[in-house]
Amino acid sequence: MIIDCHTHWGQQWEEKSSGNPAPWLAILDRNKVDRAFLMVCEGLFRQDRVVADNDHVARVAKASGGRMIPLGTACPPIGAPAVAEARRCLTTLGMPGLKFHPWVQGFSVADKTFHEICALAGDLKKPIFFHDGTPCYCLSEQIGGLARMFPKTVFVLGHSGILWNWRSALEAVRFPNVWSCLCGPHYRAMELLCQRADSDRLLWGSDFGFGMADPIGYRLGLFMRTRISDTLREKILDHNPRRLTSNP
Amino acid sequence: MKTPIIDAYCALGTDREYDLDADTLLRGMDQAGVDRAVIAPVDRQMAVYNREGNEFLLKTAAAHRDRFIPACSVNPWYGPPAVAELRRAVEAGARLLVLFPLVQGMQANDELMWPVVEAAAALRVPVYIHVGAYHNSTPWQVVDLADRYPQADLIMGHCGATDFWMDVINAAKAAPNICIESSLARPFLFKSYVEAIGFDRGLMGSYSPIDDFVFEWEEMRKLIPPEKDGGVYGKNLLRLLEKRGPL
Repeated sequence: MIIDCHTHWGQQWEEKSSGNPAPWLAILDRNKVDRAFLMVCEGLFRQDRVVADNDHVARVAKASGGRMIPLGTACPPIGAPAVAEARRCLTTLGMPGLKFHPWVQGFSVADKTFHEICALAGDLKKPIFFHDGTPCYCLSEQIGGLARMFPKTVFVLGHSGILWNWRSALEAVRFPNVWSCLCGPHYRAMELLCQRADSDRLLWGSDFGFGMADPIGYRLGLFMRTRISDTLREKILDHNPRRLTSNP
Repeated sequence: MKTPIIDAYCALGTDREYDLDADTLLRGMDQAGVDRAVIAPVDRQMAVYNREGNEFLLKTAAAHRDRFIPACSVNPWYGPPAVAELRRAVEAGARLLVLFPLVQGMQANDELMWPVVEAAAALRVPVYIHVGAYHNSTPWQVVDLADRYPQADLIMGHCGATDFWMDVINAAKAAPNICIESSLARPFLFKSYVEAIGFDRGLMGSYSPIDDFVFEWEEMRKLIPPEKDGGVYGKNLLRLLEKRGPL
């Protein structure tokens, strides 16, 4: 089984398919991907759309027959309502985790409200995914800093340092509560992350769904070319993502 | 005469994440149907050991004259000796100057860059700049350099990948002496860039071994068929490289 651990339900998909997951899932089928962690998109860019976007993602995932694994978000700068929305995602909507993009959401990982959300996720044993690799709010080492402060909470580097900062991701995954998704690093960086990081905490992702383009074939093809064992590849594509949501 | 298919950027040698030798590169080129490749130095040879790297590339290219095109690099921090080494390497056969602000420790629009870019323009060799790392190598920094040296041919390596992808088209449109190179930019985005700024300003590079040579060529050809490449697969780069004379 192949599980894509970094996808989005982009606004264009919502408009195009009105909550029907079939066209989106057809792209997964074309690339022989079975399941995907589905993150919000519009809610990351627009504070006023957070709640609605969480609802969209929960609804479309429910209609996907379990193939989409929904991740909601909240807007820490608004204070207490953000904590309430994070709790709603993880409890009422039954989401297995949250996604934050501090760069575009405009908050620092030092934000006090965000720290309340980190603690909440730790209490509920639900992971928090991040856009990482981009200054000045979401460098991999900043997520590593959160991991030091919230050892009960699992944090996922959504991009493994993206392109130029994969060495920072390697440092961050020294912490046992940091996982890393191979979604953005180049071919050699993926190989080196596989060699040097704890392979129990590596995932793979495509970032599909932001727009209508299909990056899955390229990103999966690149990963499949890496000179790693088949056992490790299977672990990253299948076993690890299952463990992440069952008992991180 | 058929225009050769040229890979605009491969890093030859061994250094941390780099692990490419000449035989491996030649095999990849044969498998992908690529006639020639620009060979560039690994990071350590760009940061510190410039002459060692330049000599290695010149000798390797001399042994495979019909396949490899040697680049050279000098670290602008060395000042006048960097310009002297650039002149020496170009006179010995190097056809392209590589600058890597992240590795060499300055900004792409830094005054340290100016003497070497000016010298490269005078020598009629294009300047490849690795672009995309934060703070020190953004697309608009390259435009600053292009403004200052309109006679220089600048190559925006990696198209600002990843997070500066939104700047590429406007930046390239602002400076006609900039070409864009595809490696790390991902084919599905690179195609949209050349569609916007003109195929005649696009260059296909794999950045092997950082990305996989054969895979990158296969993926690009799926999106830009060879019969409609607009020179991306060789002609555009050849136009820049042959300003100094036939290869």
